[in-house]
This record gives sequence, structure tokens and C-alpha cells, in this order.
Amino acid sequence: MNLRLRLLLTTVAVAVPLVAGLVWLDARSRHRAAEEALARLTRERFERPEAQARCEADPLAWGAPRPPGAEHGPGGGARPGPPPHGPSGPPPGLPRAAPPRFFAYDRALTARDPAAPRVDRAAAAALTEGAWAAIDRATFDDRVEVLVRSPWPDGPCAYVLVRGSTPRGFIGAILPATELWLAPLAATLIAVLVAVGPVVGRIRRLTADVRRSAAGGFVDAPTVGGADEVRQLGDAFVAASAEVRRQLAARDDRERALREYLANTTHDVMIPLTVLTQHLASLRAGVRTREPGELDEVVARAMDEAHYLAALIHNLSVAARVDVAEPRLERAAIDLNALVARVVARHRPVAAERGIELDSGVPEQAVVVNADLTLLEQAVSNVVYNAIRYNRRGGHVAVVLDRVLDRADGQFVLRVLDDGPGIPPPDLGSLIRRGFRSDAARTRTTGGHGGHGIGLHITHTVAKLHAYQLVFKNREPSGLEVELTGPLSPPAAATA
Amino acid sequence: MSDRVLLIEDDRELGAQIVATLHKAGFGVTWWTEGRVPDPATIDLLIVDLMLPGMYGLDILKALRATSDTPALVLSARNDTSDKIRALKLGADDYMTKPFWPEELVERVRARLRRPTLARNDVIEVGPLRIGLAERQVWVGERTVELTRAEFDLLATLARRPGAAVTRAALVDAAIDADRDGAERTLDVHVSRLRKKLGDAGMIQTVWGVGYRLAGSAPA
Repeated sequence: MNLRLRLLLTTVAVAVPLVAGLVWLDARSRHRAAEEALARLTRERFERPEAQARCEADPLAWGAPRPPGAEHGPGGGARPGPPPHGPSGPPPGLPRAAPPRFFAYDRALTARDPAAPRVDRAAAAALTEGAWAAIDRATFDDRVEVLVRSPWPDGPCAYVLVRGSTPRGFIGAILPATELWLAPLAATLIAVLVAVGPVVGRIRRLTADVRRSAAGGFVDAPTVGGADEVRQLGDAFVAASAEVRRQLAARDDRERALREYLANTTHDVMIPLTVLTQHLASLRAGVRTREPGELDEVVARAMDEAHYLAALIHNLSVAARVDVAEPRLERAAIDLNALVARVVARHRPVAAERGIELDSGVPEQAVVVNADLTLLEQAVSNVVYNAIRYNRRGGHVAVVLDRVLDRADGQFVLRVLDDGPGIPPPDLGSLIRRGFRSDAARTRTTGGHGGHGIGLHITHTVAKLHAYQLVFKNREPSGLEVELTGPLSPPAAATA
Repeated sequence: MSDRVLLIEDDRELGAQIVATLHKAGFGVTWWTEGRVPDPATIDLLIVDLMLPGMYGLDILKALRATSDTPALVLSARNDTSDKIRALKLGADDYMTKPFWPEELVERVRARLRRPTLARNDVIEVGPLRIGLAERQVWVGERTVELTRAEFDLLATLARRPGAAVTRAALVDAAIDADRDGAERTLDVHVSRLRKKLGDAGMIQTVWGVGYRLAGSAPA
């Protein structure tokens, strides 16, 4: 349903019951006024000289209507009397009521006049002398009947029923007697419909604009003039379409970044997988042809690749969590002793395969910190794995956890030491940079430090997110020491 | 009797590999491929995967913990913090993220099954070494060894965690009066004397980068 039709129907729905109610009220008022006038007229008639004698002698003649002027009907007459519709009488020129007619009844409510209507005994019995009761009539019927008890209870005129009518016409008691009052109502209705026309037109134009804008990817903002609510609606659409454009651009950026990330990730995963495949192929071929010592070397390298692959995938999954606009930490109280034990256990097989001694030392009591378990474990794991990968056969890697209580709440110090070649001092500062995409990151040759890629970058990011301090320094005579420092958790049971 | 391990792992290939590894390491292994609650009386250790047909790993853990303290090791392919934290809160003793090396698994299982050191508070026994904490006496076999205060404290600190490397800082804290004896370097002097007195040089091992370890059971 369109706006104009809805407005029309609403107006009609309000106006019609209102007018009907007023007309009904008007009719009720006219009836009531006529009833009161007839009752008064009857009582006046009882008080005239010889009224009783005349009535009892000839009730028919007594009750017959008088010619105009000789008797005052409820509709009027020149003499000031009780008109049925108000003390001042009807305005001149308006239709008058029919002259009243009186019917006399005896105590048993029997009338001599054969035209007299039948009267309900119960209604009559309730009346006291001079009192009256209206005989129920439909509101929209002109005829009005009132039953009055006379002061002469014993004759044929014990009760008098007086019949008259309301003034002819439709209305006139509380509404103006002419239908002129309907004109403002109709005018209001027309004005509403006329006023709503331009508003509807502007809304339609705005709708078309918004549809066009949506079809064109929200590039053209809808335009609408004026200074009213429709303009505000238009402005709201403009703001909404700007936001939609922004969101679409952000989505495009995210999709592009995701595609790039997937392409890079695929590349990074496929390289060690390919190397692993090659090692497995050479193993299969070498089982028959090569010396056992050679096979050992291939197996060790294959294990290395598989281990690297696992670490890489863990790092990629952590990167997906921390390399976002607003990384979220899932902090819990965690036991660093257990974390160190897990990390060392994870890398010990590969360290052993490479001929590197991997050891750890932790305090007797659990060292509890409030951190994200997965992130912190991966951060520590990366440092330890790095120390193993860039060490030489016969080298050492140590993970040392200490509690330092010289501050108010205490601190933990986690150190990973190796006796590998260390880092050239100029490169120390760039260790944490994400060299993941650089060519150096691809060169995973042991002995050099070209392979520092995503791992230490993740460690750095995780330390920063936890507000831990991460320091890299070379050791004497050779090797690297990575130190992670942070606050202990307030005393509470560790969950991990 | 070998320790009885129950493995609940639905992947046939991985399950068979784990069973073979644990058998080879000397454990008695039962393997279920569907999740249900085990009878704690029949097992010494539970290894449970998280994603299982039948019953989720964490629910098995919860049901087990309602009646028993049997150690439980959780395996998970999802490296997810909330999974791990929930598992540990529900009473898992440890977890392992896939993939893992067979040696790693055996080490974690051994660590979970390791009995606590003979828990008489006043006497520690490691190999031929016996340390009376109350009377501050040390014996190697039947021979009484006379130790200084610092040497005794050093040995007692190492002996409380046999097989585990103890950091130099912890040893200094425990045994050396930093004000009187000076820097950490004094530690090496004390250890050297201690080794001589104990007679068996192999008992106190130097751990590169960490400190010292008293040779005992498998390293923690």
C-alpha cells in the first residue's frame, strides 16, 4: 500500500466514526429535549382551569391536537414555551416539530381513544404524581412519547401519554443544523492529501537514487535536496553508502592479503615438503645401493625437514593470530617449568640427530606467569629451535629459567644459550625483523644465519604482546644468548 | 610388571605407530579407536586424543578425573590455547601437539609415570649415595664423607632432583653465602672439592650453560 492511500484510509478511518458519534449524540440530545418539553407541556395542561373535568368528560377531545397558535406543541409557537430543542426555540426557517397529541388512560391503563398506544404497566407503576417516563424509541426515529402520571388517579385520566416529534431534519441539537460544518473536515482531508504529494515524490526519487547507487556498487551517493526529514534520510543513506564502500574496500584488501598469504604459505610449506620428498626418494633408491652411513645422513636430513615443516606450520598458525590489527591474548596462569620441559622434549630428538646437546634447568618450585600458552610456548620453541639449527655438531644449547625476586612481584628470566657462531653485531638488531619473505629466509643453510625468518619475528611479536623484554646478545667466545624477561603471575595456582 | 598405558586415538596409522613405539619402550599398551570412559583400575596412564568418535577427549578426561588421579596425556592436532587450557584445567597432566617424535612421546610418558623420589624427608638415596638431611651426614656406600656446610648444601640441592640439571643461580642461592664467599666462580671450586671427596667424578655432571646435575634416573 503506498503512502498516499495509507494516509487517505487512515484519515477516513478516524473521521467517519467521529462524525457518526457526533450525529448519534446530536440525535440523543434532540430526543431528550423533546421528551422534557412534552413532559412540561403536559404538566402545564394539568394545571389549567377545569382541566380535570374536561379531560374526564371527553378524553378524546382533550387530547386532540390544537390548531397552530391555539396550543403550543413541542416545536414552537409564538408564546415563550418549552421548545424541544432548547430554551430559545428553533431558528426561524428551520423545520418545526409535529403538534403534540395527548392520550388519557385510567388506572388500569385503558384508554377510551382507540388510537392510543398500549402502555407497559411496569413503567407506569413506577411513576409518582407529576413524574414522567420516556417510552423507549429508536434514537433516529422522529417520534417521541412520554408517559406522565396525572393528579387525578381515579378517573379515566389517571395517566397521560403525550406523543410529539423531534424537529424535522437530521441534526441540529449540538451540531450546526446545516451541513456546512462538514466543509472544514473535507478541506482538512484534501489538504493532507495535497501536502503529502511532494513528500511522496521526493521519497520516490530518493528510492530510485539509492537503487541506482546500490546497482553501481555504492560509488554514486544518492542526492536529495530540501531541509526536512527526507533530506536527513538522504544524508543517512550517503553516510551508509560511504561506510559500505569502506567495508567493501577493506574486504577487498583482506581478500588480497589472504590470497597473498596463502600463496606465500604454500610456497614456504612446499619447499621443505619437496626437500623431504627428495630425501624419501633417495632413501628408497639408496636402500639397495648406498652405504648405511650415507643413509643415516639422508634420514637425519629428512627428519630435519619434517621438524622444520612442523615448526613452520605452527608459526604460520600463530602468525594468523598475532599479525592482525588487534591481536587477542588468551591469558591463563601457566607453569613455565612445564613449558620449558615440553619445548626441550620437542626438540631433543632433532638436537640428538644433529649431535647437539640440549639441556635445561628450571627452579625447583613452579614458575608461574600469566600468559597465552600457545603463543609463549611457540615463542620459546622458536628460540630453542633456532639455537639448534644454527649450531654445529658437538655444540650445546641450554634453556635456563630463573626467578628473580629483587622486584616487588618478582620476575622470571628465561635464557636460551648456544655455542654456535653467534650473530655479526650489525645484524643483531634486525634479527626480529620479518625476513620471512626475503631471499635470505629461503636460504636455510646451516652455519649461516640467513634462515632467521618467521620464527624470531613471532617470538618478538609475542614478547611485545605480553610486554616481556626480549634481548639478543653474542656470547664470548662464541654463541648467542636470547633472554626473555617478564613479571611473574600474582600468587595463584598454575593451570598449565 | 610394565606400566599399563591406554591409548585412545582414532587415526589407525598414527595409533599403530604410537602402540609400536610404546611397546618398544617397554610399556604394555591397550589401544581404543573410539572415545569412552576407561576403568582407572586397569591403567597406569591414559593417552587421549581430543577429537574422537563416540566421546570427546575432554569429556573422557572429565569423567576419569571424577573418580581417579590416573595420569593423563592429551594429544591434539589443533594448536589452540583454549583447548589446552581447558584440558589442563580438567586435570590433564600434560599435552602434546601433533606432530611429535616417538622419542618425545616416550620421554613425556616416562615423565608422567616417574615415581616421586623416595619421600623420606630426612634421607635421600641416589645410587651409592646416601644423604642424611637432619644430621647433615653423607655416605658413599659404607664410607662416611666429611663435607663443609656449603658442600653439603650443594649436594643436598642437587640430590633433591636427581637427574635434573640445577641452574648455577639456584645452587648459589642454596649453598653459597654471596657476601662472604663472593661470586658464582666460588661455586665451581666447591663442586670440584665435592667431586674429589665423593670419589666418583661421574656422579656430579657439569651441564653446559645450566649448571650441575647429580646423575640419577632419567633427566626430567
